[in-house]
Amino acid sequence: MKPGIWLRVMKGRMMVRIWSQFGEYLWIISNIGFPLLTSLSFALLYSSVGLKSFTGFAVLGGIMVSFWGNVIWSMASQFNWDKQEGLFEIYLVSPAPMSAILIGMSLGGIIGTAPSAVLVGISGYLLFRPEFSVSSVPALILTFVLTLASIYALGMMLSSLYLAYGREAETLNEVIQEPISMLSGVYFPSTGSLSPFPVAVQVLASLIPLTVGMDALRKVLFFSGDNSSVALNEFTLLVMAVILLLLSLRILKILEEKGRRDGTLTVKIS
Amino acid sequence: MARNLKLVAEKITREFEVKGGRITALYNVNLSAWEGEVLGVLGPNGAGKTTLIRILSTLLLPTSGSAKVMGFDVVKEPEKVREVINMASGAERSGYDFISARKNLWFFSQLYGIPGDEANKRIEELAEELSFKEYLDSKFYSLSTGYRQRVTIARAFINRPSVVFLDEPTIGLDVMTAMSIREFLKRKARDERITILLATHNMPEVEAICNRVAIIDKGRIIAEGTPEALKNTLTLCAYAIEIKPIPVNLGFLESVEGIKGYTMKADSQRGTATLQVVLEDEELLETVLFFLSKNGIRVLNTWRKEPTLEEVFVSYVGRGFGERESES
Repeated sequence: MKPGIWLRVMKGRMMVRIWSQFGEYLWIISNIGFPLLTSLSFALLYSSVGLKSFTGFAVLGGIMVSFWGNVIWSMASQFNWDKQEGLFEIYLVSPAPMSAILIGMSLGGIIGTAPSAVLVGISGYLLFRPEFSVSSVPALILTFVLTLASIYALGMMLSSLYLAYGREAETLNEVIQEPISMLSGVYFPSTGSLSPFPVAVQVLASLIPLTVGMDALRKVLFFSGDNSSVALNEFTLLVMAVILLLLSLRILKILEEKGRRDGTLTVKIS
Repeated sequence: MARNLKLVAEKITREFEVKGGRITALYNVNLSAWEGEVLGVLGPNGAGKTTLIRILSTLLLPTSGSAKVMGFDVVKEPEKVREVINMASGAERSGYDFISARKNLWFFSQLYGIPGDEANKRIEELAEELSFKEYLDSKFYSLSTGYRQRVTIARAFINRPSVVFLDEPTIGLDVMTAMSIREFLKRKARDERITILLATHNMPEVEAICNRVAIIDKGRIIAEGTPEALKNTLTLCAYAIEIKPIPVNLGFLESVEGIKGYTMKADSQRGTATLQVVLEDEELLETVLFFLSKNGIRVLNTWRKEPTLEEVFVSYVGRGFGERESES
């Protein structure tokens, strides 16, 4: 392998994602719509029932849903879309490492989504002035980075997994989007003492990186203190990110080998 | 100058599992291509051309047989093969819609680890050679089919590959764009000694740019040589007969001894058809005309044809590309 190819491929794939998202300014605006409106709905609900301190959960949820939406609708479907369009075989025929492509896609997705997420956050803050007290800025940054790493690693795994599917991958995406959003408690705590769910559901929810990340972010932003608990969440997120990344690379390798055997990774087999 | 063998395929067979059994897409295919050679793989749709390209470009494993590209085994050393090849297809989309042609090409150059300055220089050169420089900064979705295909071809040469696989690169293009791409391919093979394997069902394309051609039908290579040599081997006579009305069935010709094969192209607007027949002896033409007349088909015009690769194909297979495609 040529020296430096990994970084070049990663940067290349990242730039494609960023250029694509920023190439159409309307997308930045349209990406704000769903997370902002849902976040406003929850914030209004919390305000109306006197749970003013919960409005911060809703604004944080709006920010993170922007990224989650990007994971589900851009990351997870990307390879399948590439396959349908005949672009995936261009990757396969090149010496580009798949890990670099996946990480480039993720970084590009994060940077491309950041403006929408920031706008949702600013709008929510200006409208509801939620109260928060950051116990530690480095802990907040680390938790945020690890949350993004783990949810994008989940996106990488789904992207690899969806290669095995045809157009039904999109349907599968729709099927998992809402349950995961609900279980992971984007707009309310789905684990711990404030959770509305029974323990069994909370355990199930804890297997989703977004749940662990949201829980950690709420602890750092709204419940100062309890550093050991945040550290445990951060460690869990790190382990999840590594496992999901390795899993996605393994799935890709298996599917590539299967594809070479059966001719299933290409558009046509004639 | 010593010629180097860049691509060798030996006894490649590829079977696919389908509902109700297995189909053999390629059967014992032997092929070789030299440095700087444009090798055409000519055959009707469904003949196995794409399968062959997918095997040689490491996308697909052969069921049996072996192939080497630049000395690297396509089955055992796919990573090494991928560093020295590239491929493009006329059917592919080959670009991200919302970024420019230049940015698309830059991205594809990064898949090969090409440093930024060098990549930019190559993009400029390729755009100049393929005449799409003024569209380099246009978004990919806004390009016409012809310009998209020029970008696709540029992509296939972005890493200065030693061997390029092209699958129907000019399909669906207007005459001028197709000619421009063919000229580009000829130059690349001649000047930069790049070996090009061109899979196509376009006979004039093969005659225009291929140094050698392998004719493939139903997964088997049935003839191989330079286009001229193949045509010269055709000692048979080829005739074109313009007829009216367009016959539904020409099966009666099969009973005429001495007809090596025939193919027909219908012109539904005029209600006529051109029947091409390959005969063992020119005297058989009278017999063919007699049978046509006997079956209520009027002969408008008849002329002897210079042999083309289509007649070569017809003489081997007994049918033309059109009939073969409708059979498969």
